[in-house]
Amino acid sequence: MDSSRKIGAAQDWSALMARAQDGDRRAYRLLLEGITPYVRKLAARCFKEPTDIDDAVQDVLLTIHMVRHAYDPRRPFGPWLVAIAHRRIVDRLRRETRWKAREVALTAEHETFVDAATNNNPGTFDEAVLAQAIERLSHDQRQAITMLKLNEMSLKQAAAASGRSVVALKVATHRALKHLRRMLKQESERP
Amino acid sequence: MTKTPELIDALVEDATPVRRLRPPLVRAGLWLLFAALILGLIAIAHGLRPDYAERLRQPLFVIGMFGALATGALAAVASFRISLPDGSRLWLLLPLPALMLWISTIGYGCLTDWVSMPPDGGDRLGEAVRCFATVVMTSVPLSIAMLVMLRYAALLRAFEVSILGGLAVAAITSFALSLFHDLDASVTILIWNLGTAAIIASLASLFGRSLFTWMAARLMPSIVRPAIRR
Repeated sequence: MDSSRKIGAAQDWSALMARAQDGDRRAYRLLLEGITPYVRKLAARCFKEPTDIDDAVQDVLLTIHMVRHAYDPRRPFGPWLVAIAHRRIVDRLRRETRWKAREVALTAEHETFVDAATNNNPGTFDEAVLAQAIERLSHDQRQAITMLKLNEMSLKQAAAASGRSVVALKVATHRALKHLRRMLKQESERP
Repeated sequence: MTKTPELIDALVEDATPVRRLRPPLVRAGLWLLFAALILGLIAIAHGLRPDYAERLRQPLFVIGMFGALATGALAAVASFRISLPDGSRLWLLLPLPALMLWISTIGYGCLTDWVSMPPDGGDRLGEAVRCFATVVMTSVPLSIAMLVMLRYAALLRAFEVSILGGLAVAAITSFALSLFHDLDASVTILIWNLGTAAIIASLASLFGRSLFTWMAARLMPSIVRPAIRR
């Protein structure tokens, strides 16, 4: 009983689509409204969020609209519709998987606050120790580190401001980082 | 976000009469007719290879050449068939027998009857340029025609269609090469026929999908653009 009703509906859809292809808007509306719950059911098997389901249904409807000239009324409408729905749903699932692979959900630990004091993250490094280490660098190295790393100036800007060449700044930065690394290591190994 | 009933309203509003697609076999036939037209034009401009009549008496050459033609025709039929949403994936297998016949005759010919380059070298560079011209003149219009005729497949099966379409173009191009150029040395036959086919087919599988995605973005900006923007 149920299956014969389904076949009847599919035949109706086929006839409605044939009329829609000829520009019958009433038939087209009946068809789209008729298939929407069916497509929604298909989409609901793959998506949980209602908005995702809605988006998938709309994808399918739009695709049907774009390729409606490709339907041959002599062929059954059901498989045609299911194939398109399946295609769009799978595409959407793939896209979603790609997004999810690239996105990271924010957790409480990622939160930052307006108040500077609450953004402290003790344990990674001690700012005071780093500041002391920088103080102990030679003048050239300290200048390079301050301009390029702390003040985030470009090499060109730093060269103009300090009157030193880009190469000299690069060398100084490299040596400064090496020194700092060594000093901080010694600091952390000290009991 | 648009609600589904609103979308239905918009689609119904836009539902102008459309012309139904002709059956896939007819459309593949039209594409092959276009290929025949191009080959005919090249034949008029360039002329068949000088030893064509003699070559036609060699079974291996004939089998190879018509293997390429059959591969092209079957791949074209399969790509038009598979471009429809309800076309079975098994159509991918349709050109396989002809493809195997074609490749094996070329391989067998080279294996049993290796012809080296003539000692004087002949006009090899000039022939290479002419071969290349034939490749471009055949494959470019055929690819464009295929892309335009199958644009709706962008939304459905871009990958399968671009593989089969690429194979069809490659096989027809190879058929054209054996019609117009006397590639006698086995090396040149291998390079030009299989090499060109491999390049066209790999270009199609590499860029076919993105070309179809571009097409899809033009057909249906509302769906594809947000995905690209992401």
